[in-house]
Amino acid sequence: MIAPTQTHHITGAVMVIGGGIAGIQSALDLADGGFKVYLVEATPAIGGNMARLDKTFPTNDCSMCILSPKLVEAARHRNIELLTLAEVQNVTGTAGRFQVEVKQKARYVDVTKCTGCGLCLTRCPTRNQPRFDVEEEPVIIDLKLKALADALLAEHGTSQSAVIRILQETNARLRYLPREVIGYLAYTLGIPVSRLYRIGTFYKAFSFIPRGAHTISICDGTACHIRGSPRLIAELRRELKIDVGQTTPDRRFSLEIVRCLGCCSLAPVVKVDEKIYGAVKPAEIAKILKDYPE
Amino acid sequence: MKQAGLKRLYPEAGVRIGVGIGSCGLACGADSVLAAVQSNLRPEDGWSVARVGCIGLCEEEPLLDVVRPGKPRIVYGNLTAEKVAAILQAVREDREYTEGALFKMASDEILLESRSRVLGDGAYAGVVEYARHPFFARQMKITLRNCGFIDMDHIEEYVARGGYYALARVLVAMPPERIIGEVTQSGLRGRGGGGFPTGRKWQSCFEVKAPVKYVICNADEGDPGAYMDRSVMEGDPHSVIEGMAIGAYAIGAHEGYVYIRTEYPLAVVQLEQAIAQAHACGLLGKNILGSGFDFDVHIARGSGAFVCGESSALIASIEGNPGEPRAKHIHMAESGLWEKPTVLNNVETWANVPAIVMRGAEWFAAIGTPQSTGTKVFSLVGNVRISGLVEVPMGIKLKEIVGEIGGGVPEGKTLKAVQTGGPSGGCIPLRLIDLPVDFDSLTKVGSIMGSGGMIVMDNSACMVDVARYFTEFLMDESCGKCTSCREGLKQMGHVLKRICAGEGREGDTQLLEDLCDVIANASLCGLGTSAPNPVLSTLKYFREEYEAHIRDRKCPAGVCPALIRYTILAGKCVGCGACRRVCPVKAIAGEKKQAHVIDTAVCIKCGQCVEACKFDAVKVE
Repeated sequence: MIAPTQTHHITGAVMVIGGGIAGIQSALDLADGGFKVYLVEATPAIGGNMARLDKTFPTNDCSMCILSPKLVEAARHRNIELLTLAEVQNVTGTAGRFQVEVKQKARYVDVTKCTGCGLCLTRCPTRNQPRFDVEEEPVIIDLKLKALADALLAEHGTSQSAVIRILQETNARLRYLPREVIGYLAYTLGIPVSRLYRIGTFYKAFSFIPRGAHTISICDGTACHIRGSPRLIAELRRELKIDVGQTTPDRRFSLEIVRCLGCCSLAPVVKVDEKIYGAVKPAEIAKILKDYPE
Repeated sequence: MKQAGLKRLYPEAGVRIGVGIGSCGLACGADSVLAAVQSNLRPEDGWSVARVGCIGLCEEEPLLDVVRPGKPRIVYGNLTAEKVAAILQAVREDREYTEGALFKMASDEILLESRSRVLGDGAYAGVVEYARHPFFARQMKITLRNCGFIDMDHIEEYVARGGYYALARVLVAMPPERIIGEVTQSGLRGRGGGGFPTGRKWQSCFEVKAPVKYVICNADEGDPGAYMDRSVMEGDPHSVIEGMAIGAYAIGAHEGYVYIRTEYPLAVVQLEQAIAQAHACGLLGKNILGSGFDFDVHIARGSGAFVCGESSALIASIEGNPGEPRAKHIHMAESGLWEKPTVLNNVETWANVPAIVMRGAEWFAAIGTPQSTGTKVFSLVGNVRISGLVEVPMGIKLKEIVGEIGGGVPEGKTLKAVQTGGPSGGCIPLRLIDLPVDFDSLTKVGSIMGSGGMIVMDNSACMVDVARYFTEFLMDESCGKCTSCREGLKQMGHVLKRICAGEGREGDTQLLEDLCDVIANASLCGLGTSAPNPVLSTLKYFREEYEAHIRDRKCPAGVCPALIRYTILAGKCVGCGACRRVCPVKAIAGEKKQAHVIDTAVCIKCGQCVEACKFDAVKVE
């Protein structure tokens, strides 16, 4: 910031450029602090991107519920002057004495007379044309993966309930869900990528990182837990030098905990791929691992 | 078809050999036993080999049974390839081989036809009879009537034991109202945990007029420590299909779904095969048995989410959404799967239906207690001498299940508590061991029936650790929709973790109780509202253990690693070196034949030395 040279020349007015949530909040804070605020916004209305969102991260709060009171407050605040459909052209001067040139575009509506009744909207022949372009991300996919995805789509169909089946099959065959496949499925099925990721992260069976050739699942069901599975987990972590949920650097083993394999009488149980080992002792871990060479 | 099945089950000539090949048997090496049987067979023998499900006596797996004309059926346990060869050789020479025999069955009860089939008597002297075997004597098998008896690959054997007769009976002679009336009168309550009267559920769905309805079988057996549903689906999948078909006919549905956990691959295979067989026999599909009734079953596979065992979450999952429960202002009977009227029951509940239809509501209602009729399958596991699946009449005392059927805790240990109901259940202390096991009594002591997991804990189990374990499980599995459950469980997890780590603070128990209160009252679904049970019940019955952790920084059971240390008692150590050799971090040192010592700074408390020591010289405190 440029330091003001002569404090008595400070105007006491502030211009906030951009009427998104950050701009609105700044304008409100400044206005409440007694400054005259000019809020410049290029589009016809303030609100910005937040007005287009359903929920906000990380609390999943409704975004309009947060935003709309602020919109109203900004519009009604005595210290805030809204300059919508306007763009800053040029800024000169120093802090406290800026000269700003703002280009006000034509609105074709007399704002002093408009009551905001909305009747003109219903009559407008172009109202349903989108005002912003969504950039479509190009879908890049390996041909082998595409063939797999296409085969699964052909087998299970494109209905809502088929989506999980397709993800399950993909995950079973590739041992993870590659990004490209997710993108391709979303594109082909015409559903948002976020929905697929939501399913993929909700269910434990899916992985987004490639898993090892062999998956070691330690059962930590209640029966296994009281018969010593925590010690097996500690031993496997030590032996493989990875944590639960990780894969060894040579991609030989992935380590995971499952809650009950339903073999409770044989507790504690360790499953490697589809083979189940019952009544395992920590000392036997190394021997079991030897059964699975590269 | 029945004749073909009977011939397979009870050969008039030749021998039938059954190998228990459920998931639990496979884990003990049943596949190698089966291979051994097959490699020992000679073409001229003309014997048949059956892959049967689990008979429940998982402790002795792998199992093998032999049926010969005129002789009792005999079951051998703990098999290896060599033992199999010896048994088969004896059978070939027509000797009565009793080594490794667990029990014999002079007659075979065919529940659905309320009669027994005499197999033969007198042979195999010295082998205990099935009805007198301590594990089976107190049991009464309705749900598990076929598990371990029929070849899971052959629909004929299911039919031979009275299967699909119930379906035929309802299609021909019972109008829907009468079926629902029978089920209502029988007093059958949902076996998945809630205990909602099945008849009432069906009735309300029946009353809704809609062209499309669904029946769903909940096979997302997520409770750790319970595996009866898996056993039924593997060993007797047709009983579930038949039950669903009867239910569908009663409420007017034409499509059904079975939602199976992804952790049960064998159950999926068996069920798929059973559905295909039923189709081939005209027992599923269009115009079943010429009655004009259409019904089909689909399989939906879970993807590893505990909460999907909750009905509304399960439906969301079948629909292809993340399995989040919804508030149940509108009942499933009006708007369930794809917003159509739906009846959802547990595997065990469905498997009970054919028995009720065949034997009548009065017969079923006479079993158990007036409020909880029938039988319930429990998976008796944990620190118990004989673990396995047991089916007992409701109202049986906890003491009888654990002490008589299970044979009590292993020698040298004392019983401490029995945990029922999975993560939503509670721990029942030793002093309440006389408690009758039924829906209402269990709820009264702060636990629940749940899906029937019964985990026996002896004095080597730390109750604070158990509470921490369940809380972390639920924290993991909470879908995150309700703040109270998502955040509350996390905070409870923190508190319990720090208690187990020896960093507990005064007032932590009060804090836990407060958190429990909020979680139980502010959550939407069953997972949240019952989540505090493990903590509350352990706090209620085992408060002194919490206090030992917090005040004395001691884990009385010797479980929590931060609070225990391993030492070798010089008086008992003979210096054999077994512990030194197994120690993975080389924390144990000592000369041959001299007392060894553990370097506590290096020790990672893995406990391998305790297991290796034959002289009880390693002390945990």
